[in-house]
Amino acid sequence: MMEKLYLVARIADTRVALRSRTIHSVVTVGQPVEVPAAPPHVAGLFALRSRVFTLIDPHVVVGLPPVAVAQGQRVIVVDVADHGYALIADEIEDVCFIETPETRIAGRLSPGWARVADAMIEHRGASLLVVDPAQFVTLPVASAA
Amino acid sequence: MDDLLNDFLAETAEILAEAGGAIVAWEADPGDRERLDAIFRFVHTIKGSSGFLSLPRVTALSHAAEDALDQVRRGNRPANAALVTAILGIVDRLSLLCDALGNGGVEPAGDDADVIDALAFVSEEPAAPEPAEIRLRREDDLAAELQAWRSIRVPLPLLDSMMTGVTDIVLARNEFARMLREAGADPSTIAAFDRLSDSIAAMRQSVSQMRMQRIDKLFAPLPRIVRDLAQDLGKKIAFSTSGGEVELDREMMENIRDPLIHIVRNAVDHGIEPLDQRVAAGKGVTANLSVSARQSGNQIEIVVRDDGRGLSPDALVAKAVAAQVVTATEARGLTPRERLELIFRPGFSTAAKVTSISGRGVGMDIVKSNIEKIGGVVELRNEEGRGLTIILRVPMTLTIISGLMVRAAGQYFAIPRGAVREILLESSDSARVDRVGGGELVTVRGEQFPLLRLETILGRAVDADDDTDDRAVVIVRPGQGQSYALSVAAIHDHEELVIKPAAPLIMTTGLYAGTTLPDSGRPVLLLDVQGLLAAAGVDASEAGRNREEAAETEASARGATQLLLFRDASERVRGVRLSVIERVEEVPALALFESAGAIQAQIGDAIFPVHAAALPEGHGTVKLLRLHDGRSVLCYPIEAVIDIVRMPDAMQPAAAPGLIAGVALIGGDPVELIDPFWLMEQYETTRAAGAGPRRPLCRLADDADGWGENFLAPILRDAGYRVASDKESGDEAPDVLLCLSDDGDACANLGGDAPVIRLRASVAAAGADDDTIYRYDRQALLDALRRRVGGERR
Repeated sequence: MMEKLYLVARIADTRVALRSRTIHSVVTVGQPVEVPAAPPHVAGLFALRSRVFTLIDPHVVVGLPPVAVAQGQRVIVVDVADHGYALIADEIEDVCFIETPETRIAGRLSPGWARVADAMIEHRGASLLVVDPAQFVTLPVASAA
Repeated sequence: MDDLLNDFLAETAEILAEAGGAIVAWEADPGDRERLDAIFRFVHTIKGSSGFLSLPRVTALSHAAEDALDQVRRGNRPANAALVTAILGIVDRLSLLCDALGNGGVEPAGDDADVIDALAFVSEEPAAPEPAEIRLRREDDLAAELQAWRSIRVPLPLLDSMMTGVTDIVLARNEFARMLREAGADPSTIAAFDRLSDSIAAMRQSVSQMRMQRIDKLFAPLPRIVRDLAQDLGKKIAFSTSGGEVELDREMMENIRDPLIHIVRNAVDHGIEPLDQRVAAGKGVTANLSVSARQSGNQIEIVVRDDGRGLSPDALVAKAVAAQVVTATEARGLTPRERLELIFRPGFSTAAKVTSISGRGVGMDIVKSNIEKIGGVVELRNEEGRGLTIILRVPMTLTIISGLMVRAAGQYFAIPRGAVREILLESSDSARVDRVGGGELVTVRGEQFPLLRLETILGRAVDADDDTDDRAVVIVRPGQGQSYALSVAAIHDHEELVIKPAAPLIMTTGLYAGTTLPDSGRPVLLLDVQGLLAAAGVDASEAGRNREEAAETEASARGATQLLLFRDASERVRGVRLSVIERVEEVPALALFESAGAIQAQIGDAIFPVHAAALPEGHGTVKLLRLHDGRSVLCYPIEAVIDIVRMPDAMQPAAAPGLIAGVALIGGDPVELIDPFWLMEQYETTRAAGAGPRRPLCRLADDADGWGENFLAPILRDAGYRVASDKESGDEAPDVLLCLSDDGDACANLGGDAPVIRLRASVAAAGADDDTIYRYDRQALLDALRRRVGGERR
């Protein structure tokens, strides 16, 4: 049952579906702190209860200009290799069961999206990309340089 | 019952690990009463708990060990290697039993008579008479036991959740405090809140200490591992640890344990050479291996140092290419450092062959990735031929450190207080900032420090709101012998900080050592004071340091004369000054042969005299000490190298000059010392007359038809000359030139200053003034050579 549960959100100006088991929670950001000299997709740090999370800006990962983070912004919290990260979401739409199966990606994606998207899924008359949040965390060396 | 058993197993496992180390240390110093008492308590504790749980085998084993140790404590029994080995045998058996208990829940049936008898057997040595005074052990033992074991076990996750809980309470308290201030609460409410606040701070302190453990625990199993491994491999190793009092987070410790053990095993197995090679390299037979820990700023540094053969970058490259870790083309482009770091590549293992000890599928790549996983680094310091030092630097993350909060580029950063030496203002009288050639340095009371500006290193602009005239300077000492000045916009305050590792993608910047949540509730980055230095590319080593070090090494090199102890072919222990030994050779027995009544050895392309009355029997190998007096070599056959010791001051000289110069007491036993002078003298005089240490060089000139090379040269060589032909004329000026052609002018310009002997093909001389020699007149030729070369030398 859990396999079919998805979070539908708009990240980096695109509606996507994230498998719910890859996600820890959706929270509201406190005031973030910048990390000088960090890779460009690191938008800062913020604390949630006593944990510190690294903010990731998906815009940069897919090749868009970075966006400013505001206090109160909603973020998708994920755990990758025992570290907590938060993806900045433009909008959180829904958590829902999607019964249709995931399908292979049809068509050509921009290189940024091609790296993070695993599959496609049909939801309420629209095709959504199924993305792996872990892929947002590790930026390929070429674009990090 | 299960809980009791689990507690027993956990406790026993811990005790056994610690006991192994303690026993080995005790073996090295049997007089260490405290250590003995500690070991006694270990087994006593196990015996006590096992009796309670009715584990008869465990009880019997620990009882036997306790008995034997008690005999030692009473002075009835010596502490010797046999006893230690027997006790270690018991410790091993106990470990096995505990493993089985952990898996099956019941003590497996079996017989432990073998290990217990091993203990009894050694006790049959003549026992010292019972001392008049009988010590009662009960009181002091019991007191110590109460101290040592009054603790309980708590699962780590529980500690973690407590830690998180307390940190949350602190954050909530801060928020509450802000609200109270804003609402203007009355003094009694604030006083009550302050009391609460204080107890929360105290609680947070104790909770963080609960997670700390002395690094001793990590070192405890190492002596045992080194001892056993060294014994298996026939190596002698002096193992030492230091810095055991450094405290480290328990979880960190778990993460370091396996990598550390692997590195130590590697050092024993591959790093440290076999005895012979050590002697050949002019090192002590006993290798030194040390593990030390120290706190360096916000990091714990664990240093494993050996004085073995070190890493050979060329061998590593060859190996890596063979193992297809890199291609030959890639390999050529590697810097020396990158060559060394090949050992960290997956699929690479330095051992020429996989041994049972370290070739177990764990490579340095695993070590490195494990250390990096916890935000640490592995560093190599290689001195080829002289040893390898591996440094593990792990952050003190999850630990509480005292931090200095500084501001730069409009945000706060933390600097570990331990690395801060001094804080001053840029504008103060005691500091002077100079711009020198594009860099900056600050002079504080005559001492100069490179000046780094934090904003510059972080690539940020100076915040417009900050006062640029009154910046603060923090003198930072990131490690021993290094210091620099860090300029920041302002100093904020000191705070106790809980450090957690930052995400890998932040750690890889090399600028940060972790993150922390101060009372403000906003995350703060902890600066990596060593990393800042690397990022700035500044050499921060304190001046004069290297000079002192150099003086130290020189002093140790000048140390006392050393003596090589060996067992000769007739099983006698003898010694010879180490400095006259060129190396120890191991040659097949067939390489020794008898010639003209003397034993000779062929080693490589050379033949050396051997000091032996007869050829060795059998077809095995023979070990030869190569004595070298600067000119010639003499081989002395031995059975085995024993040790290298300091030359004793006193020696009983032999009555007459001979092979034995005298007898000295070494370790209480008389040892005959070889007289290298006499030895060399024997063979120097028996060597072919005229063929002294430096054999004259004859050059054959104009040897058109090869007669010189084929007919003449062997005779000359037999007579003790070296022969060079026209073709192989080297740089060395010949001592004599033999001209083989009748044409008088042929050799005119060849000889230089060397005397020339002309040979003629015809029996009859051409005339009265003909000084040529008939080429088959052996005697005349040798006489002429001796007159011109040998004669001048005498």
